[in-house]
Amino acid sequence: MTLSRVASCEPLGPYSHVRLERTFAPGDPGQFHMLRPLAHGGLLARPLSAVASDDASVTFLCQPGSGALAALAHVGAEVEVIGPFGRGFDAGAAGAEPVLVGGGFGAALLAPLSRLLPSAPLLAAFRDAAAARAAELVPAAEREIALPPANVLDALAPRLAGASCVLAAGPDGLVRAVAAACAAAGVPCQVALEAPMACGYGACYGCAVSLGGKLVRLCVEGPVVAGERLAAA
Amino acid sequence: MSADLRTRVGALALGHPVMNASGTLDALAARAAGIEADRELALLVTKTVTPLAREGNPAPRVCEVEGGMLNSIGLPNPGLEAFAAAVLPQTRALGRPLVVSIGGFEHADYGLACARLDGEPGIVALELNVSCPNVKSGCISIGSDPAETEAVVRLCRAATRLPLWVKLSPNVADLAAIALAAERGGADALVLTNTLRGLAIDHRTLKPLLGGVSGGLSGPALKPVALAAVHACHAACGLPIVGVGGIASGWDALEFLAAGACAVQVGSAAFREPLLARRVRDELATLLDGRGMTAVSALKTTTLD
Repeated sequence: MTLSRVASCEPLGPYSHVRLERTFAPGDPGQFHMLRPLAHGGLLARPLSAVASDDASVTFLCQPGSGALAALAHVGAEVEVIGPFGRGFDAGAAGAEPVLVGGGFGAALLAPLSRLLPSAPLLAAFRDAAAARAAELVPAAEREIALPPANVLDALAPRLAGASCVLAAGPDGLVRAVAAACAAAGVPCQVALEAPMACGYGACYGCAVSLGGKLVRLCVEGPVVAGERLAAA
Repeated sequence: MSADLRTRVGALALGHPVMNASGTLDALAARAAGIEADRELALLVTKTVTPLAREGNPAPRVCEVEGGMLNSIGLPNPGLEAFAAAVLPQTRALGRPLVVSIGGFEHADYGLACARLDGEPGIVALELNVSCPNVKSGCISIGSDPAETEAVVRLCRAATRLPLWVKLSPNVADLAAIALAAERGGADALVLTNTLRGLAIDHRTLKPLLGGVSGGLSGPALKPVALAAVHACHAACGLPIVGVGGIASGWDALEFLAAGACAVQVGSAAFREPLLARRVRDELATLLDGRGMTAVSALKTTTLD
């Protein structure tokens, strides 16, 4: 466990773009850290995945709301950090024609992956234009943003035939639909899932998700899993 | 000066009094994540094993609440035989003394597990979980009744030579009566306490937040309840007591020892601080030093007599 401090905090649409002093390793794309702002005083840390890092800082995007994440979104806030944990995206398995699919603030998780896969287009769905600002963090040169009533799956469909792999992050319904579409098209798929989590390192068994008909700990077997496992669930 | 932290739980000698609570550390998964939490413990308590494999309760399984957290995990485990064949050897290879937690849905489940694990190397005691609030039968329904508790412990006593620790629930009217029943049945120690049943409501849906509806409350809010349980049972029976509930500092541990415990377990606070046991142990030594106490063993005689 290391102590860090919020170096800057900027609004980005409805989200907070929070930059922490780099007192910990940023991890691989799709891995996560457990963050606990000391000012909150609650028992548990919160899982968040880094969206960027440099020599001095590691950056996260969060939906402040209330409670622990609201306490995180303050310059100078002291934050306990453990991690990085879990299995992230396997960029090496993405092939020559990868496609990134994101939704909501989870789309920002694709930012470090996009830096590794600069040719990959970003297809992303948001509830409104303000939320779509999360896509600004993803440096993909080619992008299609779907706002209601558009459906990001309609943007994905014509690209599946030529895709070597689809890498997705976002709401559960979206990534499950992406996994199903990829399974039907025979395209490899990696998806980042979310679950409430108390520890991040396999201790609490709180982050169970159904994969392939079995409940598994997301922090141990994910948060990035093969889409085939979701499609079989 | 540094206080001597050695203690005993009955005949079992420990280098210091801090261990993990069952179900709050998968030492193998932690090691795989680069966390050697088990090294900080006086001994390692396993997650509860039941006769048959269990997947556990539906998600969501955890949530934070004021003063702590709720869990409705539901005892996921690979089942007794798979545990004995795979998990136990790997866990044993960590080189820590092991306490295996046993759960069940009828009396025979406990006896079966005790007999199966008797003689397995590396196990220094069995912890009978008769207090889990997150299953629909067995466990807490056994541990809520003195006669059932006595019968299960007696059955286990006949099935194994290993020391039997009995983990009890605070969700009973007269915990001392249950403790006395465990003692009559042949228990070697008590573990006090398991979680307190609670409920959280989702503000958006106005439905229960946990998939299992209710869950077990742990964390700071549980500590006074657990301390009262330790104090009451220490006064009522002669069994050694391992205290558990909301321990997050050396002060917390010292409070449990002062209330009558001879050792302590850390649980949900270690979720955010995996090496918590080391800090609790070090703070406890400092606190004892500051009070001029040379040993944990001196604490009881100076504070309770």
